[in-house]
Amino acid sequence: MPSLRELQTQVLNGLLAEEPDGAAALIRSSGIAAEPRLRIYQNNARTNFVEALRSTYPVIWRLVGADYFRQTAWAFQQRHPSRSGDLNHAGGAFPDYLRALHSYGDFRYLADVATLEWLIQESLLAPDHAPLDLPALAQVDTAAYDDLRFILHPTLRLFQSEFPALRIWEANVGAAEPPALDLGSGGERLGVMRHEGAPRLHRMDCGEYAFLQSLTDGRSFTRAVDCARAADPTFDATLALQRFVAANAIVHFALPDTRL
Amino acid sequence: MRESSAEPLRGPMPAATGIGLRAQHHLEVVSQTPQVAWFEAHSENYFADGGSHVECLSRIRANYPLSLHGVGLSLGSTDELDPVHLARLRRAVMRFEPALLSEHLSWSSVGGRFVNDLLPLPYTEEALRHVSTRVAQVQEALGRQILLENVSSYLQFTHSTLTEWEFLAGVAAESGCGILLDVNNIYVAAQNHGFACDDFLQGIPQGVVQEFHLAGHSRIELGGREILIDTHSSPVCDEVWTLYRAAVRRFGDVPTLIEWDTDIPALDVLRAEAAKADSIRTAVHALAA
Repeated sequence: MPSLRELQTQVLNGLLAEEPDGAAALIRSSGIAAEPRLRIYQNNARTNFVEALRSTYPVIWRLVGADYFRQTAWAFQQRHPSRSGDLNHAGGAFPDYLRALHSYGDFRYLADVATLEWLIQESLLAPDHAPLDLPALAQVDTAAYDDLRFILHPTLRLFQSEFPALRIWEANVGAAEPPALDLGSGGERLGVMRHEGAPRLHRMDCGEYAFLQSLTDGRSFTRAVDCARAADPTFDATLALQRFVAANAIVHFALPDTRL
Repeated sequence: MRESSAEPLRGPMPAATGIGLRAQHHLEVVSQTPQVAWFEAHSENYFADGGSHVECLSRIRANYPLSLHGVGLSLGSTDELDPVHLARLRRAVMRFEPALLSEHLSWSSVGGRFVNDLLPLPYTEEALRHVSTRVAQVQEALGRQILLENVSSYLQFTHSTLTEWEFLAGVAAESGCGILLDVNNIYVAAQNHGFACDDFLQGIPQGVVQEFHLAGHSRIELGGREILIDTHSSPVCDEVWTLYRAAVRRFGDVPTLIEWDTDIPALDVLRAEAAKADSIRTAVHALAA
């Protein structure tokens, strides 16, 4: 008689394999053989996983079609089974899986679109935050701005793609037939944020992107402006600050002796 | 339409029929506050740090009694309890203050890998001790009693030495948990494994059942034999309504839930199912009075 752990290991190995029959000897046949009984659970497990991935990656689903998506998702599940009872986290490695699967060729762009969809998912589940306390910022001595650090909204995610990832996403997220897109029409620097429960996506120029990336990395305002100007000598710090505060991308600030 | 209150409604769950809350109905429930006795939400759907689902459930909670029903804790697993999952569940309990909190008598993971389905346990003394300990751990971590639900099943393990109802009643007795009796799951398992539904009902002690579930199932053919699948995709069938009458007679007036998860219909269809359950409850108790 197997221990409970041995039984669970055998059953689960089977459910994640091509054929689930490894644990067949542990199961009563009584009219229906063990294998088809196990296959019901395997189908459930696969369907639940695919549906979770589909809800995270609707644009990938549309781009590759249902059949290819299912096949790829099942293969992905075998290599990267869910590590949680909460399926919202099951698809984090899917973009890298697609990247390895299509490391060259016409479908290289898929991994970047998937990355964008995963960042949208992260953004949708991230904590809320109150807007920046502007009167408090006005109290800060301008001499202290060198060391001032701005904190970004918890739902903000940044992503730079060599492909027009957002244009592909926008063309495929609605019901309409997507227009033809030139995949070689240039990369995009993107910011994803949640706004009233829905994803809001922003395109940025190289200066703005470098500025926000520097703030994300924990650099001071002054250092972030330096990085932005290195990327784009015309970067206007005042304008950028206004834009990102208005967009609620900057939600907090801290001085070196201030606790975050 | 219901009166809106700023604070969550507290107190015990009403002995009336509620509806399983699904995202398709969020907007309607928030904006129109339809007449529904209570809602039950899948705990994991509201585990996020923030966002629209969490905000939505907070608003619904302000107007309705709530039950949280977990599908992912993997109580029967021989792995350690997932501390992240348990912490998120604790946070959800603090956020939403559910009147009832339930999990499944099943497992879905081992070695850190999950299949996200409700797998049946072998009904052995070893598994009984293990699950009882786990339920007690969860109740201690959450500081409250949980209800344990019987699952539908499509297989049985050869070395089971207990019946499913002996196992379920045993875990409740050892851990102090309550029982969420899924009437449809009893029917599905009885049809699939050839036991009498009444044996199941008689095997569960009175007083321990604190909630009923009702749902629809599907039938498929497998190797020339019919097998019932717990799809939650159709109305409650006549046989399950009959079994529900028997369950209400035996276990009394406890909160009942209508579940529907696939091909989800309009909320009014679910309300009609709930009204049917309420009329059965009322009729059974009128006869008993």
